Amino acid sequence: MPDLESSYGELAAARGLEPLPAAAPGPLTPLLVEAEGAPLRPALRGELGEGVEGVVGHLAYTRNRTFRFNVALAEVPAATAFAPRVFCIRRGRRTRDDEFYGFGPRHSKLWTESTVLNERYAVTTSPYQDPIWLRQLFSPSFIDWLRTAEPADFSFELAYGALLGSVEEDDPGPDGLAALCDATARVATRIREECEE
Amino acid sequence: MQVNKVGISLIAFFGLGGLAIAAVPLFVSIPAEAALTTSLLGGIWALVGLGLLLYARHSQRKAARNDRIFQSGIRGTATVLYAASHSRVNDMPLMSLRLDLEVPGLPTREVKRREVMPVFAAARMQPGLTLPVYVDPADPDEFILVW
Repeated sequence: MPDLESSYGELAAARGLEPLPAAAPGPLTPLLVEAEGAPLRPALRGELGEGVEGVVGHLAYTRNRTFRFNVALAEVPAATAFAPRVFCIRRGRRTRDDEFYGFGPRHSKLWTESTVLNERYAVTTSPYQDPIWLRQLFSPSFIDWLRTAEPADFSFELAYGALLGSVEEDDPGPDGLAALCDATARVATRIREECEE
Repeated sequence: MQVNKVGISLIAFFGLGGLAIAAVPLFVSIPAEAALTTSLLGGIWALVGLGLLLYARHSQRKAARNDRIFQSGIRGTATVLYAASHSRVNDMPLMSLRLDLEVPGLPTREVKRREVMPVFAAARMQPGLTLPVYVDPADPDEFILVW
């Protein structure tokens, strides 16, 4: 995929990111589990933005068809003690729901307190997530930013301190990749701020 | 967290279906051997429906208990000391965890817990990981692990 390679090359040059042959983050978040160990390739490592270090790369995996994402991965370890998992997924993106066979409790719960946020995203957490902490995380200014954040197809998954921002485009170009890095860094910074409160 | 439409449908399908099948010999004239087989089959279905109903009631009680602890429990932390999985339930790992519970007002203690988790959660259950917990103040052995 020469266009994709050049997009990542341009991003690396513009932001001083280090090219990696590939990155294998492991099953850290639902999307990465879905990819069943597929590596990020191409991949770059360095500062995503706002002082947040991470890896950005292209994720492709095949089930009944090939799915392609561009993802940015950062670490926010402090978040686990407050919110083990928060998934903020663009509405319309097809994801696998948690397994539920009609009798047992679900493993996740939709957070629907913000109508504005829910117009664009489906936010799911642990069923026993502290609602006060979540309310503080999704402050009015953060919701306002998420509501209009670029890239338009941005989603994020926070799972046990691993934050994965993602977009669904095959090749968003260097500007789109930069926007993905910025958005992921912005979310990581917001989560870190709330953990330090 | 309660029995959903799929659960209710399964209970109705096996329970009512079983009773209907078992009742066939009462309304239709069939040979004695066929009547016995039909009644047995219906009885088995009805028993499956009853089993599902009991399981659903158990799940609902458990969910209600968890909701109560979540609403009124004392918040603390659980640090994973040991985590392993040797089996799967519905394609998800059944994790055996040993945890160090730290709850305000209660002595620190070690507890065991088994949880069925998605793969991404199970993969992160490593010693040192700290998770929130809610402990029932009336019975400190009852707690919810927020994972």
